[in-house]
Formats: sequence, C-alpha cells, structure tokens
Amino acid sequence: MSENTNPRTETEPQTETTTTGTDQPLTTTAGESVEQTRDEWTEYEFAGEAKMTVEDLNVHYGDDHALKDVSMEIPERSVTALIGPSGCGKSTYLRCLNRMNDRVSSARIDGSVKLDDQEVYQDGVNLVELRKRVGMVFQSPNPFPKSIRENIAYGPKKHGDLDTGLLARLLNRSDAEERDELVERCLRDAALWDEVSDRLDDNALGLSGGQQQRLCIARALSVDPEIILMDEPASALDPIATAKIEDLIDDLSERYTVVIVTHNMQQAARISDQTAVFLTGGELVEYGETDQVFENPRSERVEDYITGKFG
Amino acid sequence: MAGVSQTDTRLVESETTGTDAVAAVAVGLSTVLFVLAVAALFDRASLTGSLFGVQTVTLLGGLLTALGVTVIAFGVGSRLGYGETNPDPSAGLIAGFGAAVPWVVIGGIVASRTLGLGPGVGVVAGVATGAVAFAATVLPREDLGSTVPLGALLGVTGVVFLTGAIGPTWLWELGWAQQAAITAEFLIPVSTLFTTLYGGWASAKAYGGFGARGRHMGAYVLVYLNALSIVAFLFILVAFVVVQGIPGLLNGTEFGLGTGPTMTVFGVSVALPVSVPFLMNGVALFNDFQGVLPAIVGTVWLVAGAVVLAVPLGVGAALFLTEYAERGRFTQVVEVATNGLWSTPSIVFGLFGFAFLIPRFGNGKSLLSGMITLGFMLLPLVVITSREAMLSVPDEYRDASAALGVSKWQTIRSVVLPAALPGVVTGVILGVGRIAGETAPILLTMAGGTFVPGSQTVDVIGGFQFTASPPFVANPALLEATSALPYQLYALITAGVGASSNVGNADEFRWATALVLLVVVLSFYAIGIATRYYFRRRLRHT
Repeated sequence: MSENTNPRTETEPQTETTTTGTDQPLTTTAGESVEQTRDEWTEYEFAGEAKMTVEDLNVHYGDDHALKDVSMEIPERSVTALIGPSGCGKSTYLRCLNRMNDRVSSARIDGSVKLDDQEVYQDGVNLVELRKRVGMVFQSPNPFPKSIRENIAYGPKKHGDLDTGLLARLLNRSDAEERDELVERCLRDAALWDEVSDRLDDNALGLSGGQQQRLCIARALSVDPEIILMDEPASALDPIATAKIEDLIDDLSERYTVVIVTHNMQQAARISDQTAVFLTGGELVEYGETDQVFENPRSERVEDYITGKFG
Repeated sequence: MAGVSQTDTRLVESETTGTDAVAAVAVGLSTVLFVLAVAALFDRASLTGSLFGVQTVTLLGGLLTALGVTVIAFGVGSRLGYGETNPDPSAGLIAGFGAAVPWVVIGGIVASRTLGLGPGVGVVAGVATGAVAFAATVLPREDLGSTVPLGALLGVTGVVFLTGAIGPTWLWELGWAQQAAITAEFLIPVSTLFTTLYGGWASAKAYGGFGARGRHMGAYVLVYLNALSIVAFLFILVAFVVVQGIPGLLNGTEFGLGTGPTMTVFGVSVALPVSVPFLMNGVALFNDFQGVLPAIVGTVWLVAGAVVLAVPLGVGAALFLTEYAERGRFTQVVEVATNGLWSTPSIVFGLFGFAFLIPRFGNGKSLLSGMITLGFMLLPLVVITSREAMLSVPDEYRDASAALGVSKWQTIRSVVLPAALPGVVTGVILGVGRIAGETAPILLTMAGGTFVPGSQTVDVIGGFQFTASPPFVANPALLEATSALPYQLYALITAGVGASSNVGNADEFRWATALVLLVVVLSFYAIGIATRYYFRRRLRHT
C-alpha cells in the first residue's frame, strides 16, 4: 500500500509545476536531484528520423483535463506502443495525431503536433490530406455494410483516384482493373487475401471479427498512408486472430510508422520498438525503448503499473 | 411400512398425470369457450339457436360453470396437497387487482340494479366485493388465490346463463335520454370472452404448477391470445370487406380477346384481354356498368405527388438535423414542431389547403392542391422516421469514413444514407398508409363530385404542355378537380337513396369501392415493404 501511495502523493504538486513550466523535461535531465520527485521520464534517444513530433499537447473535454503537457517524438518506420490504465488519455492522444478529436465538439486541444515538420494544428490544414497520410484502425472492427471490394475501394474512390462509376464505364474510362489490383494488394498486405479472394463481392459484415479487423487495416492501407494509428485493434478478438494481427503489425512496420494503443502489456512488449506509458490523469510518465521500459523502468509508478501493483 | 410407501408412490404417480390432465382440460375448455364467444360476437353462432343440440346460451353457461368448477377444484386440490405444484406464498398484487376488477363490476351492478338499491349503494357494494376478491386472491397461498376468486367468477357467470337469469332475449334498458340498451346478444358473448380470458389465465397458471413457471405460462397465454386476436380481427375485417365487395367489383366482368378496352402507354396500344367495368369505367349515362376509374387514378397520382413532394424535403431536413445542426434549442424547436405537425388533425390540413392553396392554384379544387396538402401531412412523419434511422447508423461508420479522409457530405451520401434507407422507407410506408386513406383534406382541396364521369380521369403524363410564356411548361391536368377513393366512398355513403338511380345496386357499388380502396392502400404497403426489403438485402448480403 505505502509503495503505491507514496509516488502518487509525491507527484501531486509536480503536476502543477509541469503545467506552468514549459521546459520541465530539460530540467529533469539536467538536475539529478529533481528527478526523484518529478518521476517523469520522457526523453528517448532513437537512431532514425522523427515522423511525428508532439509538443506540450493538452486536451480538455469540457472541464475534464484529459491530456496534460504531453511531448514525444515518434520515430519513423517502427512500432510505438501506448499503454496505460483505462481513462489515462492514450486513445485521446492517438486521436489527436490525425485530428479525429476535432469531431468531438466538446474537445479543446492546445499544443503542437508536427507531421514531418509541418504543423498539424494550424489554420489551412487540409484534413483530407492529413487523414490520408495518417490512417486509423479502430477498437471494434467497423467495416462498411458493403462488399469486401467496395470497402477497400471506398477511400480511393471518394478521393477521385479511382472511377468505376456508371459514367466512367459508359465512356470506357473505368478504373476497374486498377481497383482490383489495389484491392488485391491491400488485402495481401493485410494478410487477408488468401481467405477472401474468392468472395470479394460478399458483404464484409459476413466476415469473422478477426477478418473484419484485418479488412479495416487493408482499408486503411488503401489510401497509401505513411502512419497507421491503431486504437486497441485486437481487444475484441480471440487469441488466434490477435496473433495474426500482431504478425501483420510487425510486417507493416517495415514500410509504415505504426502507433498502437493497447491494454495488453504482453502485446506491447511483443510487438513494439518503443513504449510510452500514460498513467491516470493524462500524463505521459515514461517513454523509451520497449525492453528498457518493461525490464528496467525508470519511473517507480511505471514499475508498479507494469508489475501489476497499480492500475 | 411397505404398504404406505406403495400407496405413496401410487398416489404420486396417478396424481401427477391427473393434475396435468385436469389443467389441460381447463385450458382446452377456455379455448373452446373463447372461440364460441368470438363466433357469437360476430353472429356466426346464433344465441337464440342451438349448438350440438343444446341452446347456445345454456351451452355457454354450462361450459363456463364447468371451467369454473375445474379451476376451483384444481386450486383446492393443490392446496390440500394433491398433485405436484409449486405455488408461491401469494398470487401477488397484479393478480389481486386483476381479480378485483370484474368483481367490482358484478357487485356494483347487482347491488344497484338487480337489488334496486341505487347507485350510491352500488358503488359501495362494488368496492366491497372487489376488496373481498382482492383479499381472497392476495392473502391465501397462490394455488388458492389465483384460482378460487376467478373460478367463482366463471361459476357465477355460468350459472346466470345456465338458469336463464340472462337469456337470449334479455334486455337492459338503461333508460337514458339516448334510449340506450344493453342486449343479451352483446352482453353474453362479451362477458363470456372476458371471463374465459380469466379462466384461461388461471388454468394456464395451474398447468404450469403455479410459482414462477405457472406465471410464465399464464403470461404466455395472455400475450399469445392478444397477438392472435389482432391477427384475427385484421383477417375478419379484410374478409368482410372482400366478401361484401366482390360482387360489385366483378359486376359485368368479361374475359377473352377484344373484350377489354385499349390502353395506350407511351404510344404503344394494347388491347386488354379482360374487362372489369368497375375498374375501367367512370360513371356515365350510357354505360352498361358503372365504375370508379377516375378515383383510382386520382388516388394513385395523389399519393405519388405527395411522396415526390414530401420525401426529398423530409429526408433533407432530417439530414440537416442529424448530421449538420448542433444539438440545441433550434433542433429542439424543430423536433417539437414536427411532432406537433404529425398530430395535427387532417381536417385542419384540409382547411389550410382550402384557404391557402386553392386561391393560389387556379381558384378551384385541384389535384395539385390535394397533392401539396397531403405532402404537408406526410412531411413530419418522414422527418421523424428518417431522423431516427440516421441516428441509428453507428458512429463507427462515420469515424471509419472520416479516418480515410473522406469529406462529410461524401460520407453521408455513400455510408449514412444507404444505411438509413430501410428506416426512411419504413417511415414513408407508414405515412403513405395514413394519407392514402385520408378523406377530409381531399374533400376540401381536390374532390369533384359523387359520380365522376370517366372523362374526368386525370392524365398527368399526357397533360404536360409547352407554352410560349414562362414557366414554359404547363399541366392543366394537375389543376383539374378529380376524385380519390376515400372521398368517393364517403360521397357514395352519404349520397343516400339517390345513388341507386345512377349506379344500379348502390350497396354493391359502395362495398366494391371500399374493397378497391383497401387493395390500393395495401398495394402501396406492399410496394413499400418490397423496397425496404430490397435496401436491407443490399445492405446485408451484397
């Protein structure tokens, strides 16, 4: 009990210092004495380029302060796992990266999110382009009530990249071949092609949950994104389907930057290159290489959380 | 020792099957009585006549008494420990109130009328009898409580019929200024029906051995009977109209080549091989057989016009309210307004059309005014149901589409609307069902006369003309007064004896009109249901 309560009570005042001072992380790295009380370890050195850079991100839902001063850099072509107890703001954080939180009318977002050094939160950002580059897969599989083929072709069609409409067919300009190539490529990338290649015109709702989720991943790939955000993609699936999704994520990370929220710490440990731990109150407490975070966490609270003492 | 155990076993065995059989007999008796009562109510079994060699009233009374005795015997037997039942300590408050209601009525009427003690004493006596029945239901163990008061009710009713205290010719003059009277022909079937429902309830409970299972059986019987009676009433209604309407409808029907009229659709002429004058003629002096063709065509165009007007407007409004408008005061006001509009009486819509539309469209009753009036009537239901349908489209679809970078309008068009379409179509079906049978607005905005000549059949497609002045397209057919079936029926019913001189057998003509109206409305339903089925299929099994 005392192990649990002590770090929490210690950090209580620090939350306020964090909100007031903007260059706290610097102080943390500089002053060794401060870090015992601060208990926030978000500096992470990685080799490659940063794909997304988040600085001082704050999100309020009405009076609720859901995310507090989160800063982190997401490296390119890797898997970044976001873990933490329920209600810690990890999904909120994820939805800020492609501005899906704009759709929640009560949400107020301050701070900076940069995609390849371009600010995402500024006037004149083309949301269509942003979301094409930053795709998303949701917690529960949500294919459209359309055929498998149409589910995949939906995005490109709506962006005008594929035209298989009646007029195009009449003018002999139909992109049906390109569409079928795209459908096959996306389904292969999502490791679903072998299972559904003979029934592309069946309704997607007839697939199993795991197949539906892989279809949703294939659909996200169809608009050729650079980053794929996944919000607990395997939480509604059985162990076998989960294993397939995990293998798939591993494959995807060779070409895409994957950011995945998960409740399952073993999953995070298995699939991710780096892990960010959010704890209750919307704070990012520790961010670092996955092995280090799980085996040798710098934060006491994170250690408690990972070993199951808290959260 | 051995002997005792042997008798025990025998007792248990025989009684187990015995109780089941007794309860099953009671349920069967209730069913028979229910059917007999319904038959008597619809004059299919004469009360003065006899059934199976027994006078009908006596038969009903005997069966009711038998059912009552069986129910009580079962309850008492169960209380005394015969049979395998599993009763609760009490039948419960709901059963208590259920049993009290008929006893209040009986106690009140007997005290005030039969004993002549006046209404004041009647109320007191009614409440007292009800209280006794309530107590008798709630206080004893369930097997007694749920059988004895209801069994007594059945028994009393049965004995009253059996002894002839209320015979087939019984009449209760209420003696009011309205000259109202309750006849045995009404009272006997209705009271049989009600008491039988109670008897069926009690015997179903008994069949389930009381307790939770018994209540389940009782509720099942009541609910099942409810559903069954709805289907039965619909069937009786349709069958009645069909039987009455068929002779008038088929009057003068001929089959064979060359008998039918020649139809011209888009320049192609087809000679129909069948002639049904009632559907193909108007009313004219030299017609062999008269018909209601103008009204049929008028109804179809009327509904088509109203749908064309209301559906785009309604769906558009619903779209705005669900997808674009922020939830707030404005949407609330619109919601209240649409609900209010839906409950506005149709005659008020009619009056609005009469006072507002008619002066603006040629100053005479016209098809167009009728279409617009009915369109306004249809509008609120389309808005309400489309809204519900769109709200029930899961947000996950919208999220998924937005996450692909698809714009809001494209999302609505390709995801929300297709998913909402079955619901929207349901709304339109319900609305069309209402407006297609509407009489009052047509009376005020569109209808011509009681007997409509065939020449007044509107030809909306052929009526379009190009004109030299703006708006360059005119359609005089839309501005003509024409008839519609509900109004035609109303006019025929109120035409009185004069009708016969025009159409031969006026009664047949009326019933045939009613039948055609029914068929037309049901066909709109059928079209709507087929459309909904199509969209649902497309959504689920592409």
